[in-house]
Amino acid sequence: MELFRFAERLAERYGIDYYEIRLMKVSSTRLSMENGQLDELSQNGETGIGVRAFNGAWGFSSANDMKRAEKAVETAFKIARLSRGEARIYLGDPVEEEAEIKTRKPFTDVDISDKLSLLREIDGLLKGTPSRSVSYADSLVETLYVNSLGSEIRTRVPRIGLRFSVTVRGNGDMQTYWKTFGGTLGWELVEGIDLPHWASLVEEKALQLLKARSPPSGEFEVIMDPELTGVFIHEALGHAVEADLVKNGDSILAGRLGERVAVEELTVVDDPTLPGKFGSYIYDDEGVKAARVEVIKGGILRTYLNDRETSVYFGLEPNGHARAQSYAHQPLVRMGNTYVEKGSWGFEEMLEEVRDGLYMVGDKGGQVDTAGGTFTFGAKEGYLIRNGEIGEMVRDVALSGKTLEVLGRIRAIGRDVRIEFPGYCGKGQSVPVDDGGPHVLTRALVGGTR
Amino acid sequence: MIDELTSLLSRKDIEWELYWGKGRSGSFGIERENLERSQRKFYSGIGLRIGYKGKLGFSYITGLSHDRQTLERFVERTIKLARVSEVPFRGFPVPSKVLKVGGLYDRRIDEIPFEEAHAMALEVASLMRSVKAGGETLSGSLSFAVSSEGVVNSNGVELETRTTGMGVYIYAVRGTGTGSFQQTYRSLQPMEELEKGIAEARTNAELGRKAKRLDPFRRELVLEPEAFESILWLFLENVFGDTVYYRRSRFSERGLEVGSEGLGLEDDSTIDGLPGSYPFDGEGSPGQRTTIVEDGILRSFLLDYTFASFLGMESTGNALRSFRSVPRIGTSNIVVGTGDLNLEDFEGVVVKDTLGAHTANPVSGDFSLTVSLGYVVRKGELRPFRDNMLSGNIFELLKTLKPGKKAERRGSFISPRVLVEASLV
Repeated sequence: MELFRFAERLAERYGIDYYEIRLMKVSSTRLSMENGQLDELSQNGETGIGVRAFNGAWGFSSANDMKRAEKAVETAFKIARLSRGEARIYLGDPVEEEAEIKTRKPFTDVDISDKLSLLREIDGLLKGTPSRSVSYADSLVETLYVNSLGSEIRTRVPRIGLRFSVTVRGNGDMQTYWKTFGGTLGWELVEGIDLPHWASLVEEKALQLLKARSPPSGEFEVIMDPELTGVFIHEALGHAVEADLVKNGDSILAGRLGERVAVEELTVVDDPTLPGKFGSYIYDDEGVKAARVEVIKGGILRTYLNDRETSVYFGLEPNGHARAQSYAHQPLVRMGNTYVEKGSWGFEEMLEEVRDGLYMVGDKGGQVDTAGGTFTFGAKEGYLIRNGEIGEMVRDVALSGKTLEVLGRIRAIGRDVRIEFPGYCGKGQSVPVDDGGPHVLTRALVGGTR
Repeated sequence: MIDELTSLLSRKDIEWELYWGKGRSGSFGIERENLERSQRKFYSGIGLRIGYKGKLGFSYITGLSHDRQTLERFVERTIKLARVSEVPFRGFPVPSKVLKVGGLYDRRIDEIPFEEAHAMALEVASLMRSVKAGGETLSGSLSFAVSSEGVVNSNGVELETRTTGMGVYIYAVRGTGTGSFQQTYRSLQPMEELEKGIAEARTNAELGRKAKRLDPFRRELVLEPEAFESILWLFLENVFGDTVYYRRSRFSERGLEVGSEGLGLEDDSTIDGLPGSYPFDGEGSPGQRTTIVEDGILRSFLLDYTFASFLGMESTGNALRSFRSVPRIGTSNIVVGTGDLNLEDFEGVVVKDTLGAHTANPVSGDFSLTVSLGYVVRKGELRPFRDNMLSGNIFELLKTLKPGKKAERRGSFISPRVLVEASLV
């Protein structure tokens, strides 16, 4: 390709040691329906280029008008020449590969009218509730990654998502409940969902929450369900092991490699190679192959999630966790599919351990202060536990704690691992992730209004 | 190319609207007091909405230099989407008087050579190195942007604007304490402003390092603008026209008492020089000042043209978008009214900032957020705290609110300190 030859010649002229070019084509479809009325139906395609050049520091440029592609290369190189820093990066061997995440039934073969019918079907199932919302999105990202080492990697990654929610009112109050599905899958994801089951569950839960009281406040024993374990491990631990944050002093786990940071039974993994999960990918955005990483094994901190630069900075094996939101963004160290490995406890055994605590279910998102080690996240619903018995439902439950304290106070890890909780993670850029694990019993601060 | 597309569309028996954007940005990332990531990005594109037999189609195209054939295909694709779409079409705005908003463009940002902006970032990094204490890490970013946007529609609306922006982010870590400074501007800022930002982030990191958890209590406390902003959005989601129309809002009518007598809330896109300001919104409706809450009474919802039409109201000029998306209702600048209370010298508990605002529930209004920094002030002495949870219900909290005298700006949020009743867990 002429553009690559142009880059090669220019790199020589500018004295650029290393550069990489990402050419991306994204095709996406989005539909949303509110209370039976279609709110959005769009099909779009977009191409763009992102160029990064290294000269001890990074220079980056991007454009979405391909007539500016050469200009983007030139700009990135000029910036790198101007920048000159002290950093070093992992180079490795060149890679030539063409790879795709294959699906059983590509959504690109499904007509938009069938996608619209899906929304109508779900809307019909939720019709008992006046305020309801259904949305569907799919995207196919085709990337050509080329770098100055001679790598040439072509990938195709499909991603599909479906979400529906209801909002109910009664007793002068309002509540909402929702369910999200997603994966690097095709239309088979949709066909595999028991829609009537999930639609009635969403409606029932919202109505139950209307009658639920706010939780008590204070420190409690807490059992997290697999979905909440997922957000817990993503927020409380996952961000603190992103090597770029560690490098900036912004992590409670800085300088702790090889040390015990959690109970011995805890193993935490980030694995972008899990088939079909929402956070899966084949190569990261620096052309490094995605790999399963045991971040914590047997309670010991083994490594950080890293990229070409931070792997050298910390003297670690590069593990392919540099991800960018799009061609117009520089890769940052990110998670893929993060989860807690299975332990030895059954759910009932775990329950019996709790005298006075809470069972918390579902993820409403969270946030972490990685340097201070404080995290907070919300659960969709909670239940009081008294003497090993699940009791009254509570609503709007939020948990807070100190990462290292809570990891050290884990009393039981279940056998029932589930990793099926897709979402987007924000760190200045938004990328698709998945997380999960088994039921986990620990102790944390619960914030309630009574 | 816009003219060519306009003439192509004018020959069709359809209603149409073009929203185009074009711009560039430069940003500089500082890590551990070293400038490590510099970038310059370019973007352009056009969003096309087409109304056809009461239905709406939308599509976008990137780039602004396409040949006629590509443009024809773009138009045909959007018409086809309108044909299969069931999204109701309520028309596009008609031309109306758009007032100039001053101070949204600074030639110095538009024309700053990349090398000069880069040198400014190097100076910030060097400043960080000169002030940092042992065991302290300073990071951050500087960014500059220039953009042109325009709306043209089949009713004769034809508007265009050019704006600039500058963003500063400073992040300090000191042990387990962190502090940040974040601000956006329309004009180029002098180095003194950046020095002020570095000092503020460092002070907060030092306070954070010394902070401990407080004993739980429930009584009056003061929220600084950052903390108040993070919970006020729970209320604001309820005044968006789409939320009201789709019955996801607490409110279905105006005139309700939603806060204390002291509560005043405006959305104002016409304030000179602010990051949230604009002369016209994403559909070409003029920007305006909208009183959302006055003396505790809900006076208006925030609306775009479509949802105003669904609700039988007028647009408030709150359609926000890029060329990649259809308009969505959002805020411009939010201004919280000031009062008579002197809260600057308040003695008691002050919450500066919180974590986890997006985990709260805008439908029930309940929130439990972790305090990332607060302080107890006694006899002028400041004792920092953190890690407590700030719990309450936004609809109850607003009824107890008493605003302070002096407003502060953070980005497009302008508010005084406010005195409220809430719990610290």
